[in-house]
Amino acid sequence: MCPEADRPVRVLVVDDHPIWRHGVARDLAEAGFLVVGTAADGRQALRIAGAARPQVILLDLHLPDISGAEVTRQLLAADPGGSVLVLSASGERQDVLDAVTAGASGYLVKSAQLSELLTAVRATAAGQAVFTPGLAGLILGEYRRLASSPAPGTPQLTPRESEVLRLVATGLTYRQIAERLVLSHRTVQNHVQNTLVKLQLHNKAELVRYALEHGLE
Amino acid sequence: MSDRMWRAVSVFRVLALGYAAVLIIADHNRYAHPAGGIAVLAVMAGWSAVTIVAYARPGRRSRWLVIADVAVAAALIMATRWVDTPARIDHGAPTLPTFWAAASVLACAVAGGPWAGLAGGLAIAAADLAERQGLPRGSLNGTVFLVLISGLVGGYVMRLGLRAEAAVDKAARSEAATAERDRIAREIHDSVLQVLALVSRRGRELGGEAAELGRLAGEQERALRSLVSPGPLAAPIGQLDLRLLVEPFACDRVTVSCPATAVLMADATARALASAAGEALDNVRNHAGPDARAWVLVDDEGAAVAVSVRDDGTGFDPAGLAAAARAGRLGVAQSIVGRLRGVGGEAILTSVPGQGTEVELRVPRG
Repeated sequence: MCPEADRPVRVLVVDDHPIWRHGVARDLAEAGFLVVGTAADGRQALRIAGAARPQVILLDLHLPDISGAEVTRQLLAADPGGSVLVLSASGERQDVLDAVTAGASGYLVKSAQLSELLTAVRATAAGQAVFTPGLAGLILGEYRRLASSPAPGTPQLTPRESEVLRLVATGLTYRQIAERLVLSHRTVQNHVQNTLVKLQLHNKAELVRYALEHGLE
Repeated sequence: MSDRMWRAVSVFRVLALGYAAVLIIADHNRYAHPAGGIAVLAVMAGWSAVTIVAYARPGRRSRWLVIADVAVAAALIMATRWVDTPARIDHGAPTLPTFWAAASVLACAVAGGPWAGLAGGLAIAAADLAERQGLPRGSLNGTVFLVLISGLVGGYVMRLGLRAEAAVDKAARSEAATAERDRIAREIHDSVLQVLALVSRRGRELGGEAAELGRLAGEQERALRSLVSPGPLAAPIGQLDLRLLVEPFACDRVTVSCPATAVLMADATARALASAAGEALDNVRNHAGPDARAWVLVDDEGAAVAVSVRDDGTGFDPAGLAAAARAGRLGVAQSIVGRLRGVGGEAILTSVPGQGTEVELRVPRG
């Protein structure tokens, strides 16, 4: 099931809800993933991630101590090799968008089926973005918002990227999009990934600019 | 509030003392008893110091102190008769304490409200009339009335101020309580959402009756999530956040994707767009097949707002319009187009047999 059967994908499960934490950890273990730890809050997650070096961090946005976006930022700053997959129940749109622009590679609602979750964790481990239609709508909306007050360095969508994003947001799979636009599956995937990476780079640049302007280290 | 009013009384007292001092020092050579004038000034200064210290502490603001305050002021007014010459008094010369006496009236007002203020004012006015032995000559000397009115108005303002302070305090308390209730509600909602999501997922995996329970839990989870997400926050009058109209379409088979920020539109336009999207979804339910799923995307393009409704149902061949008309799909499509034309928009219908139908609704921002 896993990309490399002899070296299972290492996963850290972060959720303040014990039923979920254990349920998801068990499901992942049964499916052949190696759950290297579970954490109930952001600080614990950062501590365990530092020691256990998970490939995928399954992150609930609703943590008691640190915001989901901040946990994402710190996790990825500590280990740029890891990937964060947001799995959230009540994640309000802005929280999801913040976490994703902070570097998370995808988002799933908790009511997603187990098979969807397993596929998403595998895709995240392979370095792919996990785009639900809802996330595509959020990303598209964020580009529209940025375009309404353009500044130098504001990321923009190419017409093709915008088209692909709209199709993802209306529920088409990458395969269906590839067929419809006469592109390769790989190209569609790259377009989607690009839209996310551009936003994340912009977010990082904004943070650096803010830090420099305010004289922060 | 109370402390600040008492401080204001003290400030007034000091200023009035300064004014009285200037008058007394300038005029004392014309008095019958110049030394008496200086003595009255000394008593005023001493009493000012006593009251300023005493009124500064809530515990010392007794009724008797306020009455004594009025009595001292009245006595000093009466002393004018002994210090000044009758000729000057008959010509309307001011009393020795002048406005300083009003400080005791204000003290009455602050301590006991408008009626106490009026009573203090009457006492001082009476002393004033007794000192002059009659109404001031010529036009009514305003001082008597000023003193009365300042007692009444000062007390009234004080009462209003206290009420306003109580109201502000109550509002602040209720706001804090609401914020706390909201916080607790969010915590509970989050827990409930977690459990519903879990039941929904596990139920579906188990199948059979459990799957039905899971489906119900999933529906409730979505309903609750849309309730928990922040409500219509301060949309300008006459405008609506389109997301709030389209989000309720989400269900087991319908996924709604929106931007993270509000999509504000003119009220009527937003409603027309949302009803058109609702009709398109009805169309999916009725014609696209029992297993069809649908996706709704709200895309705020800036100059226009687009809502796409796509399903993965049976679809139809747009060339076979007659068949579509027979199936009742065309009528609905025409109704959607008409609805959007009404608000200056357009609807584009595309369909491929076996690949579902897509309706794109677009309305320019008016």
